[in-house]
Amino acid sequence: MKTPFIKTPLKVTLDRGVRKGMAQRMIGPLDWIGWPALWVLAGTILLATPMKIFGLYLPEPVLPLALAFSWPLIRPSYIAPLVLALMGAFLDYFWGAPLGFWTLSLMIVYGVTFLLRGYIVGQDMMVITALYGSAVIGFFVLNTLLATIDSGMVPRLISVFEQALATFAAVFLVLWLLETFVHADVRFQ
Amino acid sequence: MPQGDKHFEHLKLPVNWGVMALVAAVCIFGALSFLGDRREEVSGRSYGNRSGFDAAAGPASNVLATPAHVVGDGANWIDDYFFAVRENRILKKRVQDLSLYRDMYFQQKDISERYEKLLNLRTEPPVEMVTARSVSVSRGPFNNNRLIDAGSNAKIRFGNPVITDQGLVGRVVGVSPKVSRVLLITDVVSRTPIMIARSDARAVMSGDGGEFPRLDFVRGKDAVKKGDQILTSGDGGIFPRGLPVGEAVQGVDKVWRVKLYANRAPIDFVKILLYEDFSQFPEADQVLMTPQITELLPQPAIPQPVTAGAAGAASSAGVASSAAAPVSGAATSAAARPAAPRPAQPRPAQTRPAQTSATQPAQAQTQSAAATPATEVPF
Repeated sequence: MKTPFIKTPLKVTLDRGVRKGMAQRMIGPLDWIGWPALWVLAGTILLATPMKIFGLYLPEPVLPLALAFSWPLIRPSYIAPLVLALMGAFLDYFWGAPLGFWTLSLMIVYGVTFLLRGYIVGQDMMVITALYGSAVIGFFVLNTLLATIDSGMVPRLISVFEQALATFAAVFLVLWLLETFVHADVRFQ
Repeated sequence: MPQGDKHFEHLKLPVNWGVMALVAAVCIFGALSFLGDRREEVSGRSYGNRSGFDAAAGPASNVLATPAHVVGDGANWIDDYFFAVRENRILKKRVQDLSLYRDMYFQQKDISERYEKLLNLRTEPPVEMVTARSVSVSRGPFNNNRLIDAGSNAKIRFGNPVITDQGLVGRVVGVSPKVSRVLLITDVVSRTPIMIARSDARAVMSGDGGEFPRLDFVRGKDAVKKGDQILTSGDGGIFPRGLPVGEAVQGVDKVWRVKLYANRAPIDFVKILLYEDFSQFPEADQVLMTPQITELLPQPAIPQPVTAGAAGAASSAGVASSAAAPVSGAATSAAARPAAPRPAQPRPAQTRPAQTSATQPAQAQTQSAAATPATEVPF
């Protein structure tokens, strides 16, 4: 069994070694940005299927919001906001929203979370969940305001609440992303 | 380390500031795009630049939605299996009720056609129709749209109304060759001129992202009552008059809303009316030119000169010919005479739709959307 202590003539140092996960592979942008973005897009398209199961329509969560909240906590990146902007543009086109509607609201969530990154990273899971809930509320309040400005009609608040609830259910994606990628690179601790 | 890098080894790029600058730039771009894409006026110009995306998103949605369709079909099968007995009872009762209405319909239709001809009434001609399948839907509170798998190749144009066998769904706001985008009547920018069938009162139905659009600008006392049927009024020429929309209900906030007929069943297959606006009707070759009343009356019998020989032969044979004997012909009742030939009417050479679409929705659903030949419905 290898001892962690290396005895040298001058001093005794602790050999921490290389972490097993880091030694095997590096976490690249494709891992924490590319694949989650593709999964979210596929989920968005899948949930847009026009069908009813047992009399109920499929939910329509804003899944990219989970990425807008997670990515700035994982690490600072130039790629993440650009991919997020592209995802917002995709939602604008796919859901038939005015151009910039989803892009603007997603980027505001990303920016605010990025500013508060130092206070959020390392918090308990319950705190992260509560903060994500706050982000969901702020996001939908902002969208309600934007929709009112755009159309002159206040969207039905019950429907807004339903979509917010479905979006909050994506907190599991947030927790998984943070659990998997936050501590993957010690340079960003 | 190369010699040239030693001056930059301690240089750290300000990543945080750079990211914030990037986020701010994207926010500014998004805000400008949003302000420049106001949709309070639903026009082809504001939706037309998205046809390329829709053309690509339609097939992709179809492929990715396949597993969801399989799951949904399975759930529907289970639903049908467990509730078949109850549904059978309901359907038997409904068939019994509808049989009475069917007989009344044929009687009233016949009477109505007679009145139209007698009054020389100009009725609106049938509107051509195309069937398509909904491949994708956004049903959130901010956007209510659908993608359907038929486009300009099927002669669909901006503004065409979209219905199901239940009622009005929305209107086409974006067209590409094989895919179209439908703005649902529940969208926050949708405004639909409607009328209440009982009182003939007019109102505007405004979508708010929910399942029950609200009625605005209702005029008159007791103009609306619970359960009143709501139809399109045709005002403004956006929709043809008389499309069934829903029933009036009153919310807890005392605001009149519409319980949409289209929500009675899943919106899978839809029909697109190739109707642009009322101005397409006054075309000379499209208008139903009803004949004058004088054309419908039986032609007066023309007296024929009677020869002595012929009269003798007729009397000897004991045969009274109406053509040869004008007196006896005039005395003959109209019912006894053969009916006068109906004048040819310049109706558009189209099939009657009631037998093809309204009464056979299941058959319509089996047809491929893009390849479905156009049928028509009368209004």
